[in-house]
This record gives sequence, C-alpha cells and structure tokens, in this order.
Amino acid sequence: MSGRPLSPGVVARIEELWTRYPHKRAALIPALHLVQADQDGWLSAEALRATAELFDLPDQEVRGVVGFYEMFHTEPVGRHVVRLCKTLPCKLRGADALIARIAERYGVGRGETTADGRFTFECFECLGHCSTGPMMLVDEERHENLTVGDVDRVLDGLE
Amino acid sequence: MLEHAGDPAQRTLEGYRRHGGYIALEKALRTMQPDAVTAEVLQSGLRGRGGAGFLTGKKWQFVPKGGSKPVYLCINADESEPGTCKDRQIMEHDPHQMIEGALLAAYAIGAGTCYVYIRGEYPHSIRATEEALVEARAAGLVGRDILGSGFSCEMWVHPGAGAYICGEETALLSSLEGGRGYPRLKPPFPAVEGLWRCPTIVNNVETLACVTQILRRGAAWFAGLGCAGSAGTRLFCVSGHVRRPGVYEFECGKFTLRELLEEFCGGTNTGRPIKGCMPGGSSFQVLSPAELDVRFDADSVAKAGSSLGSGGIMVFDDSVSALDVALNIAEFYSHESCGQCTPCREGSDWVKKILLRMARGRGTAGDLELLWDVTRKMDGTTICPLAEALVWPVQSYLKKYREDFEAAVRGGATA
Repeated sequence: MSGRPLSPGVVARIEELWTRYPHKRAALIPALHLVQADQDGWLSAEALRATAELFDLPDQEVRGVVGFYEMFHTEPVGRHVVRLCKTLPCKLRGADALIARIAERYGVGRGETTADGRFTFECFECLGHCSTGPMMLVDEERHENLTVGDVDRVLDGLE
Repeated sequence: MLEHAGDPAQRTLEGYRRHGGYIALEKALRTMQPDAVTAEVLQSGLRGRGGAGFLTGKKWQFVPKGGSKPVYLCINADESEPGTCKDRQIMEHDPHQMIEGALLAAYAIGAGTCYVYIRGEYPHSIRATEEALVEARAAGLVGRDILGSGFSCEMWVHPGAGAYICGEETALLSSLEGGRGYPRLKPPFPAVEGLWRCPTIVNNVETLACVTQILRRGAAWFAGLGCAGSAGTRLFCVSGHVRRPGVYEFECGKFTLRELLEEFCGGTNTGRPIKGCMPGGSSFQVLSPAELDVRFDADSVAKAGSSLGSGGIMVFDDSVSALDVALNIAEFYSHESCGQCTPCREGSDWVKKILLRMARGRGTAGDLELLWDVTRKMDGTTICPLAEALVWPVQSYLKKYREDFEAAVRGGATA
C-alpha cells in the first residue's frame, strides 16, 4: 500500500483553490482534504510527497502540518470512519457505554480498524452536537441521541 | 436570530429574502459610509459571541485607516468549545444571515476578501455555507461590484481539519496560512497584523448574525434588548442532565440561571438534584447549586466567578463525581494543547495523569496539593489562554467539590 500519485482531477481542484489566496501555501489544508478523500481516506507517503512537490514545500513541512490535525490519517483506514464524541456533554448522556459496546461487539478500541476493514473507530473530542448527545459521525453522516441499540443498528448496516 | 431557523426555505436565498434578507446590506452599501456601519455596531453595544466578549465595533476600529495593505475578514466558525453548538445552527439553517453580516463587516473595515474558517468536523455547516455562497455569488451579493455599489468582496469557505486550538484567533490565522495551528503573541493584534501580516478582523458566526440584525433593525433596538453589558439576544446551547436540552435564544438579565434551568429546560432529566453547572463552556468555572440564583447576564455571572463564555451551558446531577468531570475536562485540554508552551504542554498532561490516577483509586494524600501547584504554575505563563481554560475549571472543581477528590484519595475508584 504505497499509495499513488495525485489524480488529474484533484490537481485541477487544488489549482482552483490557489486562486482564492494570495499565497498558495494557504490552500494546503483544504488540498490535503481533497487528496485524502481521493485516496481511500488516508495520506500515504507517496501522496504526501506528491502534495509537497505540488506546493513547492519540503516533505517534512507537509508532514508537520498533517500531524497537527486530527482528521488526517497517515495509515490506511477502514471503508468508513466512525467518530464518536467523548467530551463532557456526550459523556453525561452515556457515551462511555457506547465506547464499551463498540469495543465488545466489533473488537475495536480507539483508533483501531475492524478486522474485516469495515470501519475505523475514533473517539473525538467535542463534535459540537452537545444538546443531542451522545452522537457520532459516520463519514459525513451524523447520528444523534444515540442508544446502544442505535449504534448496533448503524454500524451493522455499514457495507 | 433563530426566528426563521425552523423554516427549511430559510437556507435558500429566496427564503432568506422573504424575511427581509439583504435589505440591510443594500441600504448600507447605498446610503451609509463604512464608518457609519461601525458606529451603528458600536452604538448597539454588541460584544463578540465567541467567548471573550470584546466590543465588536471597537475591534473593527483597530484596523489602521488608509494603509496600503489589503484588509481581511475571517469568520471564526471553528466552534469547538465543549458544550457549544450554536454557530452550527446559524450555518445549517440560516447561512445567509451570517454572510450578510460578514459583508456588512467587510464593508465597514474595507476588506476585499473574507474566509469562513469552518471546523472540518462540521460537514453539514460547510455544505450549507458553500451552497449559500453559490447562490449569493450568482445574485451579485458576493464578488465584484456588489449590487452595483462599487464595493467588492470575495468570500470562501476554508475547512479546518480537527484542532480545538484553531478557534483561538491567532491560531486560526496560522492554520489558514497553511501551517500548524500555533497561537501567536499579541501584540501585534490581528487587526493590525493578521493574515500574511495584513490587517485582519476575526469575528464569530453569531456575532456576524447580530450585525445583520443591528443594521436591519437599528442599534437602538438591539441595545434595548437584554441588559447593560449584555445587549441583544444570545444563543445558548444547554446540554447534560436536563429534561429539555437544546439551543435557546435568550435576552440576558431577565431571569436567574436557576430559572433558566428549571423553567425553560425542565430541570434535570434524571429527577435528581443539580450538582453543578458550567454556564459558558468548559473553559470557565463551575457553579455550585448555591450559586445558581445568579442573574443570567455576562456581568452578573462574571461577578459570581465564572463566565457566559461561548454560551455552552452544561449541567450534571448529583450522581456524578466532580473528579470524573474534572478528568474529562483535563483530557480534553491536554489532548488539544498545541504543545508550543512548556507550562501548558507538560502541565496539562500532569493534571490529566494525576486526576486519572485519583479516579482509578491510586491517588495519594499529596495529589491535591500537587494539582494546585501544577495549575498555579500554568496560570498566566503561556502565549494563549488554553492553559487557563484548563486551570480555571479544574481549580473550581477542587475548591467546590473537595470532598469528591478526598474520597477518591482515601480509597474507591470512580472511573
């Protein structure tokens, strides 16, 4: 899994992003989102090298940025990314029981991917759905006011 | 602000216009000088809604006049403070209200470009704002020569990628420039030296929605709502152990915090007594049951030793150990510390580890004193306020619920 070069479509979208800023470096984070989405949800060494080259930046500079942000992955991820909020409002509404349930039913702890590659499980700090917690984001879809049964149903239903 | 948020059409330009949308912008561009817009906002008494509560009009006035550098506006939509989910309501249900406010702000400060920095974990807000911008651009409301006025302003959504610290305005700028989200020393303040060392104003989403309301209905109308020091209405997100959690719009100063929790939010959902309430996100002090009779406005809550902060009201009942709450908060800040300043990077980790061992029943008699010592050394010794955002709540828990911590030290794990 060494990744692949950037697709022409992604490069074209990054070039469009550059027109929005006086310095092209500013488009780095939006660009990394595009690259990650286009390459199975993670940023391989090859993808990072290619992005750095496109931005005329040293590899390490781009890695330094990537490492700072929680949403970027530098290891392969499952077909889906499940992000469960663990911060206080969700905790008060039962998030801990959901984390325990996911560990028990799917055999994954924080940051781990299920053996069948179905999903990567992440515990996130506040996801901003405090009055409808506990909540999780499955890729870009949100699920709120979760019970253990809801979590089973949603995760069982993933391809 | 949320008057029309329940109407699905409000997201669209047509729906927004049906309720008076963009009339204020048109009026300002055609009949008001930029300084008059600032004066109106200053007169309204509007304070920033991101947490710090600074006078918005005053902030705008810090932009140097007649400089040769371009001026930028950034919308801080990196809403990440635990307990806070109000800006999301505006972006998802009424994004044009924010865009109109941003255009008015841009006109007032002379900004030709505005970036909407939305946290990456808000895909719905990003989508709704982008869709609204497409419509606004097509209608000549964003871009070159807006409504034929000669005023031009581009506006772009810029997604973050998961870092609480980027809600701090100078960290937001570092991130927007394509770097790690490191806060910068102030001064220079962003209004003088911000993005690419150019004058930059960073305003919160709700703040800009207020600007729209102020220019639509007048400064006097806005100043007449709420009370001294808390003009206008404010959005609050209520969470935790309440019967009716949700995002509420209130005039401040009209009732006490206890009335808010008991009458509007229906008391606890568990039927048990309230043990504590954090009235303004997790970065400020907890209030004990005896303190809930404080009048609900910025100045009164500040006098009671806490803050309305970002409007995140979190409630917990007496089944909860204060140690577990403090630990959850410490985990958050230790995870989110950017690592730039030693007292915060090391101190937040120490506080988390001490609380964790206490919660696991392995604390020692000296741990309480050690916590005080470590937190004291973090207070006021860092570039940005993230260290205090951990220190203040943790110290307040130690002070107000000391018995919970002592019980854990005596024996008995809580987590």
